[in-house]
Formats: sequence, structure tokens, C-alpha cells
Amino acid sequence: MSDEVAPRSSRGRGTVGKKHLTFWGALSSWTPYRVVVRLATASPRRQFLILAAFPLLWVLTQHLGPMLQMLRVSFTDAYPVAPGVEQHFTLDSYARFFGDYIFWQPFFRTLVFAGVFTFCTLILTYPVAYFLARHVSRKNQMLMLLLLLIPFWVGEIVRTYAIMILLGNTGAVNQLLKWVGLIDRPIPFMYTSFSMGVGIVYLTALYMLLPLYSALEKLPKSYNEAAADLGASAWTRFRRVTLPLTLEGISSGCTLVFLISTGFYATPVLLGGPSTTVFSETIAGFFHVAGDEWPTGAAFATIMFVAAIFITGAFQKLMNSLRKGDRN
Amino acid sequence: MNRGNRILLSCVYWAFVLYVFVPLFLMILMGFKDSKFIGFPIRSWTLDWYTGVFDDAAVPSAFVYSVGIAVLATIISVFVGTWVAVLLEGRKFVGRTAMFGLTVLPALVPGIISAIAFRIYARWLGIEPGMGAIVWAHAVHNVPFVALVVMARLSTLPKSQIEAARDLGADPVIAFMRITLPYLVPAIIGASIFCLLLSFDDFVRSFFLGGYEPTLPVLIFAKLRSGMSPEINAIATVALVLTAAIGIWAERFTRRMNKESKYD
Repeated sequence: MSDEVAPRSSRGRGTVGKKHLTFWGALSSWTPYRVVVRLATASPRRQFLILAAFPLLWVLTQHLGPMLQMLRVSFTDAYPVAPGVEQHFTLDSYARFFGDYIFWQPFFRTLVFAGVFTFCTLILTYPVAYFLARHVSRKNQMLMLLLLLIPFWVGEIVRTYAIMILLGNTGAVNQLLKWVGLIDRPIPFMYTSFSMGVGIVYLTALYMLLPLYSALEKLPKSYNEAAADLGASAWTRFRRVTLPLTLEGISSGCTLVFLISTGFYATPVLLGGPSTTVFSETIAGFFHVAGDEWPTGAAFATIMFVAAIFITGAFQKLMNSLRKGDRN
Repeated sequence: MNRGNRILLSCVYWAFVLYVFVPLFLMILMGFKDSKFIGFPIRSWTLDWYTGVFDDAAVPSAFVYSVGIAVLATIISVFVGTWVAVLLEGRKFVGRTAMFGLTVLPALVPGIISAIAFRIYARWLGIEPGMGAIVWAHAVHNVPFVALVVMARLSTLPKSQIEAARDLGADPVIAFMRITLPYLVPAIIGASIFCLLLSFDDFVRSFFLGGYEPTLPVLIFAKLRSGMSPEINAIATVALVLTAAIGIWAERFTRRMNKESKYD
């Protein structure tokens, strides 16, 4: 480019003729482009339809599609369908679930475990979030939060393995207890609901911490000060001011953690034992064996999804009514 | 505020920091143990497990495979997620709530169920288990995260900038490319890094949609099932250092970008 080029056009990638148009200028004066744009933006309605078409198609076929297909397969008697065989619709897969306790036992175990682990995560992370949001200066808050984020970038499998090393018979915890002299023989932590719980809480803590932190951070300090001026003790202030006003964060954190905990597969396989089989292992079993077990697996996955959505929905409703009730 | 309370809470915080770091730290230590047997105490040290990682061809190839999947899936989800965010943010239309619900759906479906649903759908579409299927499942799963991050950034874009561009004669496409998109760059980069990490770390979808070639988490899982060995610690440590380094870099980078754009 010559020296006379205006600074503005030197940022453009192309120039047209002697007018030194920018790339965008050239594009917008290019006739085919102008025709297309004029047609596309002829009316706000048409413009909106063009903008909306692709996202709508995507969410319907890619987000909703797999769930609907899973639902449909769960009502069939064979999938994938062998050539020459007719596919029938049936409720057998659902009946199979209720018919055998080796199926519904892991199902209820999963829900109870997920509920307990979610509660443990809440108890564990609430004080941490509270400390960060209320007692740390603004500048340090981000640094201290970032410090907690680092381990959560590490994958599920690697972190599960770290827990295996921590809790094994020759693991750090047992060796420490032995060294202190509290035990002679190692405590068998591994392959129990305890080791599974430690692992799952370890994996989900962040999903609880972040909603709690943002709820607590939004809460003005003056509310607490006002309550203190009116003579409320620390415990009363927490129970009557802080806790009710952070119910929203608690509700979304618990929902997220509950849904995630029901969906773990590798962690229960690696940290759990025969007596802690969870439903995801049951479901996965139908997809490993050859044969037409897929409809049963799909039906079981559907049951689990519906149950998880129902429980979290009921929980959110409860939290909402608590919030409203407190305002009156 | 009560001083005793403050000290107690800060103890809780540091205890939590220990809880999240100590297991990883112990895992890294164990990778340097000069014995096949996993467990404490560690009496002698070695680097052999690390050199072994690079001799075993399966590990580098699984690593490259995982990175390739993560990059492809991220490109797709960033493109789609940004488009969805532009549609949803600041616009009122019939069915917006439903559209938003459908957008975040893949992020809310529990892992195993999402993997099963993708497996069935891939079979229905005729996609064979393998790289294509994994890329597709990761891309769909990550779209909600991109959409949410981009929407948050888009909501802070001053409307006057778009209006000024339009007044100066820019059509909606040019206004988007020259005003909106540059403004979204920090969010898009942040979301990309997040997607890369999610996809690289993902186990359950890769496991159910994978063919014979394992991704790195699937390889580690398979090795774990056949027994613990310091070799796995070495592999896991390499993966850990990489993901954590990328995460920290991304965090700093997006913070800096956000700060700069404030002074524009």
C-alpha cells in the first residue's frame, strides 16, 4: 500500500480500485451481497426467521432429538432392528424394571446416594462460599476462588484415581492413622459407599460452590448490619437473614449437583463395590452385552431421567415456597 | 463482624483447599515411586514411569486423538452456541422460554443418560461409533455452556453502538461482524477453552460412543480396571498438568481481555 492510504483503510484487508475501501466497505458495495442482504432484511419478521431457523433446527434435532429417540426405543421390543424382523411397540421394558428387585434396588440406592451426597456437598461448601463472599477483600476473592478452580479443570477419571490412592489400604489416610497410632490394621475405606461419597463430593463440589458464592456475594452487607443493630445474635442473623436470602443459590446448586451425581458412571465403577451398585451401572450393562437389550436400557434411562427431573422439580418448588413464605 | 467467626471460617476455607489439592498432590508423588506397588510410604524415587509413558505408543496416540476430538467439537459448539446466544439475548418472541430450556437441556441431562441417548441417536442416524460420533456428542453437550457465556457478555453490549453503526449505513450483517462479534471475542475465547477442557476430560460420552481407539480418559480407565500402577500416575499427571495449565492461562487471558475492553 502507498503512503497516501488513509489510516482507516490500512486496517482493511482489501482495497477496491482507487477508493481505498476497507474489506467491509468493499463487501457492502458488492452488488450480489447487497441483493442478498436486502432480501434477507426486507422485514423484521423475515430477518428474525432467518436468524432463528438454524438454532431452532439445531435444538430440536440435536438437543431434543436424542431424548425423544431414547423414549421411542424404550417402547419397542427390539433395537437395533434386525433385517426381516418386525418391530413391535410394548411396555415390557418398563414392566421388567418393576418386576425385579435387582433393578429397582440400585435405582433407589442411586436416588438416596445422590440426595445424601448433595446434602454433604452443601454442608461442606456453604462455609467456604460464605467465607469468600463475606470475609475476603474483593481483590483476594477472585484469587482465592481461582485457587479452588484449578483442581476442577482436571478430569473426572484422574480425580477419581486420586481418591483411590488417598483411601486405599496402603493409602495416605490409612498410613497416617497408623502412624499416629489410632489403628493397627488399615480401615477398608475403598469399595464402600463411603469411598464413593468422598469421590462424588470431590467431583461435584465446584458446582455447588459457584452458585452459593454468587448468591452470597450479591447479598448486601447492610442487611446483616441492620439485623445486628436490631439486636439479632449471629446465629439469628444467619438463620433469618443470610440463609433465606441465599435459598436461590442453594436451590440451583443442589439441583445441579443432584443431577450430576445421578449420572456418574466411572466413579461408582472404580470407587464402589458389589454392594453399592448404582443405576448407571445397571443401565450401562444393557449396552455392553450383545443382543437386543437396548430397549430395556433406554427404558431404564428414561425412568431415571424422569425420576431425577421430578425430584429436582419438587425440590425447587419447595424452595420457592420457602422463599415466598419468608417474605410474608 | 465477629473475629472468632472469621478465623474459624478461614480455617474451613484452607481445610477445603487441602481437601481439593492433597489427593492430586499425592497422586503426582506416587508417579515417582520406584516400585510397581501403589501405596505409602515411598522409599525410593524414579523417573522411569515418565520415560515409559512415551515409549508406550498407545498413550501419545490417545492424547493426540483426544486433542483432535476436543478441537473439532469446540469449533462446532462455539459456532452453534454463539448463534443461539445471539438469537436468545435481548429478544422477545413467542416460545423464547421453551427455546432457552431446550438450549440448556444437554447440560442438565445426567451423564450416563446423555451418553445412552447419544448412542441410540447415533445408531439411528447411522453414525458408527468412533471419532465422528464422539465429536458430535461433545459438540452437542457443550453448546449450552457456550450459549450461556456468550449471552452473559452480549447482555452488557451497549445498544447505542449497534444503533450508531446502523445510522452510519451498516446493514445488520456488517454491524454484527464489526461491532457485536469483536465485542464477544473474550467470551468466545473463554468458552472455547472451557469446551476444550470439558471435551478433553469427558469420559462417559467418549466411552459409550468410542470405537476401538480410546481417548485419554478412556485409556486411563481401562488401565485402572486392570490394576493400579505408577505408570497410570505418570499418564494422569501429564494430563493434569496440561489441563490445569491451560485452565489457568485461559482464566488470566479472559480476565485481561475483559479489563481491556472496559477501557475501550
